[in-house]
Amino acid sequence: MDIDTDIQMEDAIDDPQSTTNQTSFFNNALNSQPPVDILSSDVNQLDAWIETLGQCKPLGEDSVKQLCKMAIDVLKSEDNVQPVSVPVTICGDVHGQFHDLMELFKIGGPCPDTNYLFMGDYVDRGYYSVETVSYLVAMKVRYPKRITILRGNHESRQITQVYGFYDECLRKYGSANVWKLFTDLFDYFPITALVDNKIFCLHGGLSPMIETIDQVRELNRIQEVPHEGPMCDLLWSDPDDRSGWGISPRGAGFTFGQDISEQFNHFNDLQLIARAHQLVMEGYSWSHQEQVVTIFSAPNYCYRCGNQAAIMEVNENLDREFLTYDPSVRPGEPTVTRKTPDYFL
Amino acid sequence: MTTPETNSDELLPIALLMDELKHDDVGSRVQAMKRLDTIALALNPERTRSELLPFLQDVVQDDEDEVITVIAEELAKFVQYVGGPAYATELIPVLENITYNEEPIVRDKAIHSLNVISKSFDDDQINSDFLPLIERLSEHKWFSHRVASTGLFESVILRVNSDLRKKLLGLYLKLVEDDTPMVRRAAAKHLPKIIDLLTEKFKENNIEEFNYDIISTMFQSLLNDNQDSVKFLSVDVLISILKHFKLNGDVSHEQELFNSVLILIHDESWRVRYMVADRFEQLVSSFNDPPSDIIRLIPEITSLMKDNEGEVRKAISKQLPGFCKLIKNSDVLLNDVIPCVESLSNDENEVVRSALASEITGLAPILGKDLTIEYLLPTFLNMLKDEFPEVRLNIISNLQIVNQVIGIQLLSKSLLPAITELAQDKQWRVRLAIIEQIPLLAEQLGVSFFDEELGELCMSWLWDPVYSIRNAAVVNLEKLTVIFGSGWAKAELIDRILSDKIDISNFIVRITSVFALTNLVPVVDENLVINDILPFILNLSEDKVPNIRFNVAKSLQEIVKALAKNQNSANKDEHLDIIKSKIIPTLEIFSKDEDVDVRFYAEKSIESVKKIVESF
Repeated sequence: MDIDTDIQMEDAIDDPQSTTNQTSFFNNALNSQPPVDILSSDVNQLDAWIETLGQCKPLGEDSVKQLCKMAIDVLKSEDNVQPVSVPVTICGDVHGQFHDLMELFKIGGPCPDTNYLFMGDYVDRGYYSVETVSYLVAMKVRYPKRITILRGNHESRQITQVYGFYDECLRKYGSANVWKLFTDLFDYFPITALVDNKIFCLHGGLSPMIETIDQVRELNRIQEVPHEGPMCDLLWSDPDDRSGWGISPRGAGFTFGQDISEQFNHFNDLQLIARAHQLVMEGYSWSHQEQVVTIFSAPNYCYRCGNQAAIMEVNENLDREFLTYDPSVRPGEPTVTRKTPDYFL
Repeated sequence: MTTPETNSDELLPIALLMDELKHDDVGSRVQAMKRLDTIALALNPERTRSELLPFLQDVVQDDEDEVITVIAEELAKFVQYVGGPAYATELIPVLENITYNEEPIVRDKAIHSLNVISKSFDDDQINSDFLPLIERLSEHKWFSHRVASTGLFESVILRVNSDLRKKLLGLYLKLVEDDTPMVRRAAAKHLPKIIDLLTEKFKENNIEEFNYDIISTMFQSLLNDNQDSVKFLSVDVLISILKHFKLNGDVSHEQELFNSVLILIHDESWRVRYMVADRFEQLVSSFNDPPSDIIRLIPEITSLMKDNEGEVRKAISKQLPGFCKLIKNSDVLLNDVIPCVESLSNDENEVVRSALASEITGLAPILGKDLTIEYLLPTFLNMLKDEFPEVRLNIISNLQIVNQVIGIQLLSKSLLPAITELAQDKQWRVRLAIIEQIPLLAEQLGVSFFDEELGELCMSWLWDPVYSIRNAAVVNLEKLTVIFGSGWAKAELIDRILSDKIDISNFIVRITSVFALTNLVPVVDENLVINDILPFILNLSEDKVPNIRFNVAKSLQEIVKALAKNQNSANKDEHLDIIKSKIIPTLEIFSKDEDVDVRFYAEKSIESVKKIVESF
């Protein structure tokens, strides 16, 4: 089941306008302004969008443009290491499986009553990347304190051109404008979160260039995911049975052993590293003697892997409960169809 | 089109459409075709006839099927655009061309549109244009054209004179006896409709116009077809023929047709037997005297119930209550049918058991109380323990029918183990289905029995790990309170939720308690709201989790609504006092909360509470 061996494509088209260097300006502005309550007209607009998206209907291009603009305002004031309080429900990859995302909310409870932390990879692979990422971003703007959305390695211009989001935008909107809007927005997503100062959450894993959480805070995150370096590693690395650092078969990030995790958790006074990024058949999987947990929230990944999905509920006492679930029931839809594109093989 | 330069732009719509049609993208061409009526409207009828139709004629010969399908659909409403009924026949050539298409879906659209526009033809147009079309198609050397023709007869069969009708039926007979099975299949499919039309029109004094001799030949030909995919369609033809004779009180062909049923039931092909089983009730009811005919068919019924093929057993199981109703003789039911039902309930095929489970409860009213208890109850109970969850669910979902016949007391004893088991099923959707049945059972069981056997279970769902189950449990408790009343709710629900046994340090427990109590507010007495629910809710107003605080804000709004509900209440002043002294101050504190969502929901509640207070 080596379906998730997406590797960085050196030859993927680099959009010259998009790798934003102007963004260090925003970085300096981080946390400088206190969040303002959103206007009631915006609330009505957002509620209407959320209702539309909740029925798996994409927004119009103009609405997406407006939404992304609002989302940038919300996300740019978040930290590289976004603090999250308990109770919170932590979720892994969703990958455009919109109906399974709805199933996730049926299991964990609706937002805003339940707080959520998503650890990236909302787009690519599933058939409803547009609806999925629009829905989560709309929720983020509507309830900024109730939901946290981190960046995954698929929230990038290069990867989405290869694994489906770009094509889906083109198919659903007739142009790449919406893809451009979202991938520009992805640059603002926080890259890690810290739950109650005890659980460090991120998409991929650790980096040999990062020893302390403060070092993450110093990164300039507002840019396309780089090909190497600490930000790349946080979104690409995987835990491994071998100790120490290893070369990742993915071509980006590293593999890290139990010694690395133990040292990192000890040094930063952490209980646990929660991450996503890898398909695990039971939906969640412990590594490194419960120093690291992998959570994967796309059941029957790519509509064919037959895996369960999971979410992790963390309550006020930092007690953890895993909820696992199967794909949602969609009467009238074929369970597995479509020819698998060649690049899966 | 609304620009001032209308004159010079007159050609624009059609030009635009042509442009769009040359678009490389099929989707754009499909979209262009969907605007065909607008274009035709913009052109006048004359130009629609002289330019648009010839143009479409070209398109339908080599465009993609998606585009042609849209054209076929659009043309159905085109009589008005070509200048009314007088010109309607000009639509025939384009549609005829589409009926040549290789794709059945496309052809069917064209046939449908032809049938629609034929309604506006007068008799001359029928004779001069439509009949020749039918003839052309039905005698064409390509089988797909002949297939297409079978769908057109229904539009004209009643509109022609006696001789032409004979001729048309003769043509149709040829199609029924065609060399190609696809043509025979299409002819068989459309034949019942034609027979029904004839039956409706020709009765008593002009019954010979029904042309039974030709129809009978067609039926016999289908019945003896060597292809089972044709033969099984003769079941519907037979039903239509039977209806004709029943309507006219004619029993002269009864025996001959009865024998045909026997032939079909004993056919070698399971698809044919399946079709009989699937239509069994309808088939038997179409005979002149169903109760006596069905007695003659008992051996056949039991043979279908014991059929080798699961699909056949499933189909006949679905018909069970329908045909059992016709069997007036309870000895026959008990001695012949019930034993077969019993063996079906142990069928090796779970799909068969599931089908039986959804219908078997329908036998209870037919058998009556004593016989149900004696003969059916053991089978119900057996199926409630079935290893396949859908079987158990189908039984449980239909139990109210049985309950009406024998009363719940008898049922419940054996029912409970099955419910308890399903209530703990690993699949949350199975648990959900059970919860949804609970109010129904509660009504039937009565309060004391319910408390004893199911009360604990209903409370336990409130603390399920899956949110949807907890939510269903909340709704369930509300429904139960409506059934059992406030006093019951206090003793069995509210006191238990408020008791110390519940782990209030857990966020999910607290928020679920808020949901449960808030949902009870509209359905319990106001003193319960004031003395029990409100203090608990207010107590949570300083909860450190914002999600609890904003749900408290929402809950307080519900409480105010409930207190205001009874404006003539003697305690009106007391209620107003509570709202002003306890609820509003809490909401005002919330409106200055550090959390944005708490502030938001507090403001919303304050707004609605203020309106309510003003109306006091």
